[in-house]
Parts: sequence; C-alpha cells; structure tokens
Amino acid sequence: MIEKFAEMAKAAGAEVETPGNLAEAISFIKKYLGKAGLDGALISPDLKNRNPFDREFSGLETKLCGCNLWVEAGFVAADYGLAETGTLVHLDRSDEEKNVWTLPEVCFCFLERQKIVPSAEAIESLISAHLSRTDVSSPQVSFITGPSRTADIECRLTIGVHGPSRLVILIVP
Amino acid sequence: MKIKIDPVLKKVLQDFSKSYQATRENVLRGYDFEEMRTALAGLKDRALDRNDELLARFEEKARAHGSVVLRAKDGSEANDLILKICRDHGAAKIVKAKSMVSEEIGLNAFLAKNGIEAVETDLGEWIVQSAAEHPTHMVLPAIHLTRGEIAEVFAAKTGKAVPDDIPSLVRVARGEIRREIFAAQAGLTGANALIADSGAILLVTNEGNGRLVTTIPPVHIVLASIEKVLATVGDALTLLRLLPRNATGQSITSYVSFIAGPHRDAQYIILLDNNRSKLLADREFRDVLRCVKCSACLNVCPVYQVIGGEAYAHIYMGGIGTLFTAWIHGLQESKDLAKLCLRCHRCEQYCATKIPIADLITALAEKINRETGKPLWKKMAFDGVMGRPAALKTAFAAARTGRRLIARKDGFSRKLPLWLKKYDRFRALPAPATRPFSAVFERDFVPAGAGRPGAKGGVQIYAGCLIEHFYPEIGMAAVRVLSKLGYEVKLAPSGCCGFPPSNGGFRKASLKAFTALLKDFNGDEPVITLCPTCATMLAKRGPSIEGSEKARKLGSRVIPFSRFVLEREENAVRPMTGEARKKAKVTYHDSCHHKNIFKTEKDSRKLVATALRSEIIEMDEADACCGFGGSFSVDNPEISAALLADKLAAIAKTEADIVALDCPGCLLQIRGGCRRQGMNVRVAHTAELLDAI
Repeated sequence: MIEKFAEMAKAAGAEVETPGNLAEAISFIKKYLGKAGLDGALISPDLKNRNPFDREFSGLETKLCGCNLWVEAGFVAADYGLAETGTLVHLDRSDEEKNVWTLPEVCFCFLERQKIVPSAEAIESLISAHLSRTDVSSPQVSFITGPSRTADIECRLTIGVHGPSRLVILIVP
Repeated sequence: MKIKIDPVLKKVLQDFSKSYQATRENVLRGYDFEEMRTALAGLKDRALDRNDELLARFEEKARAHGSVVLRAKDGSEANDLILKICRDHGAAKIVKAKSMVSEEIGLNAFLAKNGIEAVETDLGEWIVQSAAEHPTHMVLPAIHLTRGEIAEVFAAKTGKAVPDDIPSLVRVARGEIRREIFAAQAGLTGANALIADSGAILLVTNEGNGRLVTTIPPVHIVLASIEKVLATVGDALTLLRLLPRNATGQSITSYVSFIAGPHRDAQYIILLDNNRSKLLADREFRDVLRCVKCSACLNVCPVYQVIGGEAYAHIYMGGIGTLFTAWIHGLQESKDLAKLCLRCHRCEQYCATKIPIADLITALAEKINRETGKPLWKKMAFDGVMGRPAALKTAFAAARTGRRLIARKDGFSRKLPLWLKKYDRFRALPAPATRPFSAVFERDFVPAGAGRPGAKGGVQIYAGCLIEHFYPEIGMAAVRVLSKLGYEVKLAPSGCCGFPPSNGGFRKASLKAFTALLKDFNGDEPVITLCPTCATMLAKRGPSIEGSEKARKLGSRVIPFSRFVLEREENAVRPMTGEARKKAKVTYHDSCHHKNIFKTEKDSRKLVATALRSEIIEMDEADACCGFGGSFSVDNPEISAALLADKLAAIAKTEADIVALDCPGCLLQIRGGCRRQGMNVRVAHTAELLDAI
C-alpha cells in the first residue's frame, strides 16, 4: 500500500521521500532550507507543539502578516494517506493550519506510514465524525494531492498557480 | 442565428477533446465506468426525490455549525442577499472561486452597479474577467484565448510587459490574485455538493484558490443551487470517485475540501432555486438536475468543438446547457441553441450521471414548437409532407419524374442555385433513383442460397427512405446477402418511420408517420434495418410515443443488419474474392445511432475486416459525427460543412480505398463530400461490402 501511495502521489506531481526515521526527515528538510538559503517556514500548529518538532523547528517559524503574502516553505503533518490516489488527508482544526498547506511555495508534509489506507471510503466514518464535531469552530477535511495545478491556459498543465508548486511528502515510520 | 467558425479556436478545442479522451480512458482503466455512473445517477435521483427533506436537514446541520443559511427563489433575490451581506460586513471587494451559478444570476455586474468589486480568482475566470469576456467552457473558462492574447490582457491590466510563456503568465496571475485575496473582505464559492448529514459543503478544485477564498477573507459566502444536496459523506465520496476522472481525467483534483461552519467571522450559505423546483417537478425533464457539471459532454461534443462556448451557450454551454437555459433563462433563450444539437448521443456515452441529453433536447424542441411556434420550412416538410404518408409518396414520385432535369450521369444532382448553394457546395447531393428499392426488389429479386432457399426462415428488410428512394443498390445488396445465407427475404412496409419529424420536435407528424407504417407491419420475423436512425425510431422512439403492444413487439423484432449477420452467420462470412484480391485498404466510420444507440460498431468492423480479409485502418475520431444529422445540416450548413471537412481529412489521412459505414445518411454526406473534394474513395454500406460472400 505504501508503494501504491508513493506511485500515485508521484504521478500527481508530488515528491516522495522515505527517510528511515524522524531525525532523518528533519535533517532532510533542514538541508533543503540551507541549500535554498531559507531561515524560516510556516509551521502547522499541530506539528510545532509536538515532540521532536517543537525542539527541532524552534527558531525556524515565520509568521504570516498582511504585508508579506509570500512564504517560501511550510511544514505540515497529514492525518491519513489514501493509496488509491496518492492523497494526503488532513482533519483541519484551525484556519492557521489550513493556510500552511496552501500559501507556501514548497510544502513539506509528514505522513506516518501506518496512516496510509487504501481509499477515502476506508475513513468515511472518520470524515463524517470530524465534520460533525461541535468542539471545533469550523471542522474541515482536506484532501491534498500533488502541488497546485492549472490547465487554464491553452490546456497546458502548469504547476503552482495559487498553492505550492512543490509538495514533498516524507513517509516516516 | 449566424455562426462564425474560428479555425484557431476549433483546433484548440478539437486537440483538447482528443487529449481529454485519452487521459480519461487512462484514468478509468481498471474501473467500471458504467457501474460508477449508475451508482452516481442512482444516488442523485434518490437525493432529488428527497430534495426538500435533505435541504432542511442540511440547513439544520449547517446552522448548528454556526453558518447562516438563506434561501433565494431567483437570481434577483440571491443578488440582493449577497449585496446585503457585503454591506453588513463592510465588504467593498469580494473574491470569488469559480461559480457558474454566479454567472447564471449575473452577480458580478450586479455588485459592480452597487459599488462592490467582485474579483475572480480561478485563473481562467480571472483571465476572462480581465479581458472583459465570458467563460466559454465550464471547467476551462478561457479555453478560447491563446497565450499571446492572454499576455496582452495581463500587460494591459498590470501596466507592465508580460512574457507570453505559460509559466510566466501563471506567475503574474499568482501575484495579482493573491494580493486581491488578501485585500478582500469576503470570499464567494459555489459548492460541488451540500452534504445533508453534516451540514458541510464539498469543494473540488485544482488551483488552490478555493482554499484561499474560503480561509483568508473574514466572510465566506456559498452560492449553491438546490439540486446540489446529497444525503451523506459516503454519497459525496461516490461523486468524488467519478467527478475528477470524468471531468479532467484526473484520479482526483489537487484540492478537495469538506467545509462545515464559518472559518472566521461568518459563513453564509445561499440556496438558489431559480426555477429548479419547477424542473424537479417535471417528470419529463428532471433528469437534467442530475448534472454534476463535469463538462464531459462538452469535451466530446462535435458541435461545441467547431463553434466553441461563446456561440453554443447562453450562460450554460452545449446540449446540457441548452436544457438548463430553457428552464433558468427561458424557452426563447434556448430556441437557437436547441437547433445546434446534432442528437448524435455521443455526450451520453460520457455523462457521469446518464442524462439522456439528446432525447431531452428532442423533448425540448417539441416544447419550443408547442409554446413558441414552429419554423415555417419545418412545418411544411414535417407536418405537410412527412406526417402524411400519401403526400410523401407523391413527393418522391414527383422527384423521380423530374429526375432527368436534376440528375447528372454520375448519379449526383446538379448544383443547387442561388441561396440554396450553401446546402450542396460542401457535398454533392444524390439524384433520386430511377426506381425505388421496393420496385427493384419486385422486379429483380431471385431467391438464392445454398441448399433450399429460405431454409433458415424469413426476415423482413426495412430499408428506410434514403435507401428506398436514393440508394436501392444498398437494399438489393442486403437482400442478396441474406438470401445467399439461406433466409427467405421479404420487404417490410416502405413508408417513413417518423424519425425526421420527431427529431424536429414535431411529435404529431412523427406519430402519424409511425402509426401509418406500423399498421402495415405483419408477421413475427426479425426486421432487419439498413439505417440505424430508422432502427432507433422503430425499436425505441416509435414504441415509446405510440405506446401500443404492437409497437412494442415490432421494436423487439428490430435488429441492425450487421448485428444480425454477425450473431447468426459469423462463420459464413468469408473473404470476398474480388475486393480481397485488390488488397483494398479499408477504414470505418461510426454512424452515431449505430454506435451510440445500438453499440454495433464492433460488429460491423469485424464483418468488414473478415469479408475484405483486411485490418480496419482506424481514422481519427471515427465516432465523430460526419455532420449530416438530417435537418441539422439544413439548420446549420456551416457547421455541417466543417464537420464533414474534418471527417474527410481523417479519411484521407488513412489512405484507405474504402470507407465502410452502416448509415445511408452518413453515406450521403461522406460520398457527397468526397465527390466535391475529388477524393477517389469508395464509400460503401457494410451490406454492399458483404455482397460477394
């Protein structure tokens, strides 16, 4: 199922990495930032308070403000992966985390390999339950598959129109 | 209605159609499309049956999330509600994700009049808005513009020179649109579905603007039409399984969002009726509301590809758009559009929810004739002649009498004069035959066959008007084939089946013709047809409008010639000696009703290939209509000519010596086109090619 997920995600234009552990994944991201000369990123709230990301990413966080609409990188974590389509599923709980998926140029997403399920139907009841939550002001379920794309000009596929132009998925144990 | 054909746009649309079909086929490999669309059509039907109940449930659930749900009975009410929301929240600028419903109600112009700027954020929509144009495709709104034209639009908008490569254009749009999104006080989206059980909306997008529009501005307005409600998340997943695959050939779009409740300050959900309740209550037309706006029908529509969405739309495009237009914007607005549908049924092979678009357009043509009056020439042709069997017989007899005046030696008619030129300069029309098929049969037919002639039982041949009066040689070829195979061949009654008036929306004339023909039918032998359009009338439409047991029984006896031969006599079809010796190269044209109604295209290919001992050389878009379409080519000679030109080019590319087909209407069109273009290709009915076995 992991292979199928990776195959489909790549077919949708995502990059898929399978680091041996979290430390390798974090090191991969830091290397990327270093190479690109970046010193910050938007970090999803459900990631930045979690061990070891809180420690490893401390000092890297960029805040979004009205005068700065451009963010180079974002770090997020998916709740599930759908093997059938190479889709990342996120049960959104706040506005802030929704934007981390959409605004940056490059989005790095952690996905635990045991969270990969065959298809959306396998988590139908979880989606229903999340959308019915009343303890969250605006429950949203997002499916993200590959980078932002358009074919609106001369029907030619072009990547990165409003959302990220690169989606890097790190499948971690 | 004057139609202008833009060759550049035509090429873009036709290239897109080909790549769409290939991508879609690829993404559906391993999936059962019929099963998927049957499931989706079923759940849409069930949701429409429970529309009131599901909408009430959706409202209740959405309110529990803190959303404000409002009902609008028409476009004017919806516009007023949106204006009030904007004013209440001090919004001078709103940003919009793609919403055809907002086009339907003329929202942008209304807001502009009231001092509120509405900015599109979908790239294609933003392009057409910046160019002060209208969308011409539901999924690809700016498909009619080239990158060069778009660069000029962007340069005018930004005041800077913009390179015309696509990535640069996209970067410019990304920057401009993002600034607009951050500056707006409200965001407006449509909804691909409203989910009753959770009060959530479903948004399916690729660019990511839907997510930004729903999360960055403080207020989110959802404008959705009432037929979008589904019962459960499971139903929405069934929709999601097929919608992107059928719309763009993607297994899923980049972004899918299920959104329940307001993200920031407020979420307003406006449920628009705009005559949909009336449509829902109309048993004849309500299937239209199953539409999920995937645009697959447009992507394969031969007429749309020739003239584009500016000509073939009021707001909604193509055949399905014509039906929406009739109900939402009125019959008058749909009158000219209804004439643009070929009734080729190709769209129905792709529709995600099995909407019988072509038959509904026929029903719409009837409604238009009934409620707004009939066009004079059709009244004369259909009510005056075809609806009266005796008058039709007299008309054909008169044509035969005058044959000497109009016929050339090669069997074609002389060129038509003056204003009639437009009907025959792109295809030579045939001269009437000296004797009708039934008379030739009575005079010349000698039963033959191995063993005892007729040992395998009787068959009746229904040839149809074109073979009866113009191509008796095709009828005789079929007679000889069946006789040699051991069947006792009889002629079925020879009147008009009633299809042409039916297609024109002349139900009474059609019924008269069909009833008169039905009266003369006897026996219980198979009725073998040589024209798939007549077969459609005898097997399906006639029994459905006439309604008697006799008509139903007749329908069940009807079988196209090639299916009959393949089913019963596959082993008897041996290579033809003459043609095989010549090593003829053969291609096959799919006639619309033959393929899309009777699904017999494989039968014919197999028969022809076996008989000629030759592989079929497939032409490009073999199943694209040749442009005949009966009265279509009279209503729209320019489009008919363009479709024929494409068909002839596809044939020429195969370098085939023979074009095989199964419909005398296509034969008239293609043979006439070859004659005008001086193409040395034999255009032959399958029966003629088997006439040497």
